[in-house]
Amino acid sequence: MRTLTAAAGVSGREEDAAETAARLLRQHCGDVRRDALGSVVGTRPGRGPRILLDAHLDQIGMAVVGHEPGGFLRVAPCGGMDARCVAAQSVIIHGRRDFRGIIPAAPPHLKHDGEKSPEWNDILIDTGLSDAAAEIPLGSRVSLCAPPRRLLGERFTAPSLDDRTGVAAILRCLELLGDKPACPLAVQLSVQEEVGGAGARAAAFRAEADEALVVDVSFAWAPGAAREEAQGTLGGGVMIGVSPTLDETMSEALEALARRNNIPYTIEVMSGRTGTNADRIQQSGPALPCALLSIPLRNMHTAGEIVDLRDIESTARLMAAYLTERGTA
Amino acid sequence: MYEEQYQPPHSHWLEELCALPGVSGREGPVRDWIIAHLPAGAAYRVDPLGNLIVNGGQEKVMLCAHMDEVGLIVTHITDEGLLKFDHVGGIERAAYLGRQVFVGKNALPGVIGVVPVHLLRAEAKKQLPAQESLCIDIGADSREAAARLVKPGDTATFEPGFTRFGEGFVQSKALDDRVGCLILLELLWQNTGLCAVFSAREEVGGAAAAAAFALRPRCAVIIETTTASDLPGVSGAQRVCELGGGAVVPFMDRGTMYARELYERAMSLAKKAGIPAQTKSVIAGANDAHTIHTSAGGIPCIAISVPCRNLHSPGVVMRESDARAVFQLADLLWKELTAQ
Repeated sequence: MRTLTAAAGVSGREEDAAETAARLLRQHCGDVRRDALGSVVGTRPGRGPRILLDAHLDQIGMAVVGHEPGGFLRVAPCGGMDARCVAAQSVIIHGRRDFRGIIPAAPPHLKHDGEKSPEWNDILIDTGLSDAAAEIPLGSRVSLCAPPRRLLGERFTAPSLDDRTGVAAILRCLELLGDKPACPLAVQLSVQEEVGGAGARAAAFRAEADEALVVDVSFAWAPGAAREEAQGTLGGGVMIGVSPTLDETMSEALEALARRNNIPYTIEVMSGRTGTNADRIQQSGPALPCALLSIPLRNMHTAGEIVDLRDIESTARLMAAYLTERGTA
Repeated sequence: MYEEQYQPPHSHWLEELCALPGVSGREGPVRDWIIAHLPAGAAYRVDPLGNLIVNGGQEKVMLCAHMDEVGLIVTHITDEGLLKFDHVGGIERAAYLGRQVFVGKNALPGVIGVVPVHLLRAEAKKQLPAQESLCIDIGADSREAAARLVKPGDTATFEPGFTRFGEGFVQSKALDDRVGCLILLELLWQNTGLCAVFSAREEVGGAAAAAAFALRPRCAVIIETTTASDLPGVSGAQRVCELGGGAVVPFMDRGTMYARELYERAMSLAKKAGIPAQTKSVIAGANDAHTIHTSAGGIPCIAISVPCRNLHSPGVVMRESDARAVFQLADLLWKELTAQ
């Protein structure tokens, strides 16, 4: 998790994260490469239906859209950044090389409503550079910076846990499978999920799969959230998605397997679109039934995302059980 | 004369100083560190309010920098094992949502949680979450699990985040006023008989007055940080002061009318020596001078400050050249005030 979260990969500029993920994926897949849009793809041979595993590589961040005198940058969100949480946030600016910077907080003596969230038009980045334009071209991505850290028990915090935990779950699943027989796999660690899911949609077309398992993060309950909206529990196990847009047979098979193998799980009910690559993969071309497994996460899209590492393990175990079962079916 | 590139020999201590936890009233770790780093032979004592007084004898001039920093204090542990908290010192909550903190004497890591923006109604997305809705999440599952490690009254500091960036800039928590502590420590290393007060509780009203009362100096020089709002879109006087503009010498703020004679002396000294100096173009902020100048029947005060962006946040920003200017001006002023 530390290796995966240390790599940067704001949507559209996933090179660093892709390189790291590809290196880790090569331990399990022989033909790892990056596709036309940049997603990391690989395969694993087997018998039975071909199953596509997807997790997204990219993370939320910002893109530089303007330069101001004094070494300040104007930025726009790249993905669903939470503007409420950016004041005095330390950042990494991925310019001609990586630079450190910080988002200024509103000066206290200037008239501003202390109850209101900052707006993107007012959000700047302080680079401390005299000529930022020379070093940081427009379009450079900016990621949130916070050191990865263990909390009590198995809890872990870092930026970009959405969705490096999904990537970690797939890697762990492949590790659990080892040399054991399973169904043939197409793995895609896809780019640009946070800005619409183009990476997954394009990559899935080439996967020639019969069905797909998407691994993303979802909301763990925390104070202030409604239980029916934040249905996951940190440490409560993998969340199995149930939705009109997901394949009912697959969801039910996953739940039965979790029960049979004593894998902790919760059911996450959605009424339509899932807001994940599962929505996109089904539009890739061939008809592709999809299931969604989610890892519960707190503080989504902030620098302080939190997961429970045991939930990555239960997700990986459930995937491995499913792939093994489908391989012998 | 002003030496622009002069780097005081102990400048590398800044990172260590900023990382120390020292929320107001809990300055112990900072005080202990400073005592351990005093020059050999410095006489010191700690007063009952926690001020560290160095070389308090027959001094005429007292120099003062505060050890404490703004932070959080745990007020309650919820059934779910989350920590309710309040602010110690003035902090805007926009500056710490989703940030890491360290709680209590064992520096237990935690994160200030927020309900994800996805789950909010359109109107709520534009509002900051209410202060009373916020919690520190240390990863505990129950009140019992949390209560084994944390108790109400424990303070929390922000993740230090000390980073040098850009051309000579630094970002960190607690630069207010550890950079002042460092400058004062450096002054002690370079001058004999300099009377220094490392004060406690500045961010919650200040304990420095008690030290001033005990010392009864002829005047006091406060080494501080002060708000700069030199940002794009802010113009003229509203910028207050500028990073890179040198030492900030205010004539007045929300707490103090600084002694006119000291103000003019500091400014003319700076001019004569070529030390970059500026004043504040907005009457804002306050510091230990507020309580010192009315202590012991009245003590004329002057402040020399490092201009900082994002004061009272986890990411205060300063420029090292400004700290050098503050050091050199304070050094000159002390020499002149004590030469008479």
